[in-house]
Amino acid sequence: MRILFLLLLFTMPLHAAELQQTTFKNGVKLIVEEDHSAPVAMVQVWLKVGGRDEVPGKTGLAHVFEHMMFKGSKALKPGEYSKRISAMGGNDNAFTSHDFTAYFETVPANQVDTVLKMEAERFSHLDLNAEEFGREIKVIMEERRMRTEDDPNSHMFEELSAAALRLHPYRNPVIGWMQDLQRLDIHDVRAFYKQHYVARNATVVIVGDVDFKHVKSIVAKTFARMKNVDVPPRFNPTEPEPLGAKRVDVHLPAKSPVLAITLPVPVWQPGKNDTETAALAIATHILGGGRTALLQRQLVDKQRKAFSASAGYDPFGMGLDLWYAYGMLGAKQSPADFEKALWTILNHMGKQPVSEKQLQIAKKNMVASEIFAQDSLYLRAKEIGRMETVGIGAIHKDEWLNAIRAVTAKDVQEVVAKYLRPERATTGILKPEVHS
Amino acid sequence: MKRMYIQLLSFACLCFGFAANSYAVPAIQTAQLDNGLKILLIEAHNVPMVSMQLTMPAGSRFDKLGKAGTASMLAAVLSDHTAKHDDKAWAEWLDSEALRLGASASRDSLSLSLTVVKDSLTVGLDAFSEALLQPGWRNKRFLSLREDDIAAAIKSQETPGSQAAQATAKLLYGTHAYGHTTNGTAKSLTHIKLSDLKELYLKQLRPVGSVLAVSGDVSMQEILALITPRLKNWQGKPEIAALDIQQPSIITGKSSHVSLPTSQTLVQFSRLGVARSSTDFFPLFVMNHLLGGGGFGSKLMEEVREKRGLVYGVYSYFIPLAAPGPFVITLQTRAEQAEKATQVVRDVMQSMADGKIDKKQLNASKSNLIGSFAQRMDSNRERVGLLSMIGFYQMPLDYLQHWTAHVQSVTLAEVKHMSKVYLQNNDWNITEVGPAKEKKQ
Repeated sequence: MRILFLLLLFTMPLHAAELQQTTFKNGVKLIVEEDHSAPVAMVQVWLKVGGRDEVPGKTGLAHVFEHMMFKGSKALKPGEYSKRISAMGGNDNAFTSHDFTAYFETVPANQVDTVLKMEAERFSHLDLNAEEFGREIKVIMEERRMRTEDDPNSHMFEELSAAALRLHPYRNPVIGWMQDLQRLDIHDVRAFYKQHYVARNATVVIVGDVDFKHVKSIVAKTFARMKNVDVPPRFNPTEPEPLGAKRVDVHLPAKSPVLAITLPVPVWQPGKNDTETAALAIATHILGGGRTALLQRQLVDKQRKAFSASAGYDPFGMGLDLWYAYGMLGAKQSPADFEKALWTILNHMGKQPVSEKQLQIAKKNMVASEIFAQDSLYLRAKEIGRMETVGIGAIHKDEWLNAIRAVTAKDVQEVVAKYLRPERATTGILKPEVHS
Repeated sequence: MKRMYIQLLSFACLCFGFAANSYAVPAIQTAQLDNGLKILLIEAHNVPMVSMQLTMPAGSRFDKLGKAGTASMLAAVLSDHTAKHDDKAWAEWLDSEALRLGASASRDSLSLSLTVVKDSLTVGLDAFSEALLQPGWRNKRFLSLREDDIAAAIKSQETPGSQAAQATAKLLYGTHAYGHTTNGTAKSLTHIKLSDLKELYLKQLRPVGSVLAVSGDVSMQEILALITPRLKNWQGKPEIAALDIQQPSIITGKSSHVSLPTSQTLVQFSRLGVARSSTDFFPLFVMNHLLGGGGFGSKLMEEVREKRGLVYGVYSYFIPLAAPGPFVITLQTRAEQAEKATQVVRDVMQSMADGKIDKKQLNASKSNLIGSFAQRMDSNRERVGLLSMIGFYQMPLDYLQHWTAHVQSVTLAEVKHMSKVYLQNNDWNITEVGPAKEKKQ
């Protein structure tokens, strides 16, 4: 799930070992970052398939499929996969976004070979059973109820994304619309497997106490033996430019209002738009990052128009990103006042350059975040897998920091003026409904 | 880390692991300042960063009756501004040096934490000691923060999880010091004054009984050289020691319903667990892993989700505190089937209490726990958390060295005994958050 409330955080290695990678004949890719500081390894298998690859009426299918990967294969009974990982002292799980699906295991380093064999087995020989599907789809509906239906904030953001875009698949929730979930069946799941779970869509990422040459030999005997199948380019339509502002009111049994704006903005394409996207990342950090975050300082601390406010931008998407800013309001605070004050700040940023101090603070903290992210094997592997899977290429990841370092105050001003304009925005307001 | 450690004041690590686990546990180095502050360190030089946390006996258990949220607000104010810097200047200073300084409260303790890149350690400790020793007590700013916290407390009532946390604390502990959530409520927050924060600060934020846990690219010599001069004027012992707490009364068979217009009902079972010092800890820890602490392998997940598709998640946990903390089982399911799911949980508890656990299940839990031990300390953040726990709750300094052996030695008879003692249906209380009950029928 794309999580909208997280602060902007970049997580790319600075001082880590170099990436070692290879691509096998059938298209499977292996990327390894050795780290021998603890006898632990993070294994992640990334698939170039996600919510964006679903056809109309079948939203949620990529995520449903993620669940089915734990429901048995030729060699393993339903649930057996996780039990074996657990017994070797490991933990496993998976996640799905619009752009990718990933499966991961944290295990003692001496178990990596076994994990790779097990992963390759379920990828090649999944047993998609109708009865298991029938139970699992109910689990997923409970997941949707918990994450979305019963959470007014995320429900509002779902509506906002759907209203903001016409073509781009980010308009649909990754978990799927409930109406679609109710109609999916096992045939949909089987067709999805056949089409997307092929060698050319897979990237194996390992970070931890392993030897590249050795794991390469294991992948050669497992994933590299999957059938060599061609895959068509991924669905990535060009979203038409907004023709004017849009608004959506969301009436739900909430306790207090939330106002959010979202605008389509570009994502990073190395060598093509480095300055623009890095400047947008810096602008977003100035607005929403750290203790000096402008939205919190101005709109919350100074003007008292909300009790919490922030902004977010994800430069590592596919096609575009839905840039956002929001305020959570107390009972006596007015959405209209907050909205006006928010646009005053954004408009000002488009007219005046930010100060050199603001710029340096943003850069320094973005670099520090990269160092702190090294503390987690999970985040390191995730950044590699993600960059590779969305088409940026893990090999380019260090170039992002260079792009950040090169941004000027003028670049920030220009990018804000170009993209963060009210006539391009969709505004969503969570309006509390009086209920019992 | 496979490196030799300087034998400063450190406890020599004499054991090199057990048959089941050859992982060389990193050594804990310790020191004590003249003012009584304990320092615990694990060195890790793979990332050029240092993380630390100062844990003091000033958690929400010290909130006065009707003033839930005091400790939490004290944490917020200490990290927001100081006598030398107002909140704006403070924010600019911390951000311009990329210092991640924060504070938070839990039931037993208040923590001040710092994460810095290695190059900023000295300036980081300047800020850290200023936050601790030179509080600003700016009332206007306090009132703003309190107003925002009140609005956030109201907002949080939209979600079943925070409603359940409040209701369960009250149900299980009543007027005991654990009988409210750390964040407080909109009502309790309005009763808190800046003087309440000052009082807690003066009484409880003292070096004796407090612990500074450090992990990262730093040696004990470096830390002592930086910390000793900065904290030398911090003196005294807290009015109430960390482990000096009244025992909670045992509450059983109570229930509570909170009405919320949601599609699901959240069901939360609760009873008292154990104190951190309890000898039941390891057998209970393994038993809970089998019950619902072990994710997909656990009995609750198997019965409620995998076999019946009733929930997305169901899990159990117990929180060992200075006094017995809560033991909780939680699930969320479509309101119409809440009763059915509740019954499945009851059946699982009953069967375990009746001794229906086999050796194979026990061994599966033990091998997961032992095998994943290294993962529990493979980052600075996790190591700081473990060191804080060991120091604050006065666990033996070889705790980590013996951890896997303790898990390994838990027998089937002990797990059956723990199940019999802790999983009697009638001893558990129930909190439900969801649509009013009559609507369900």
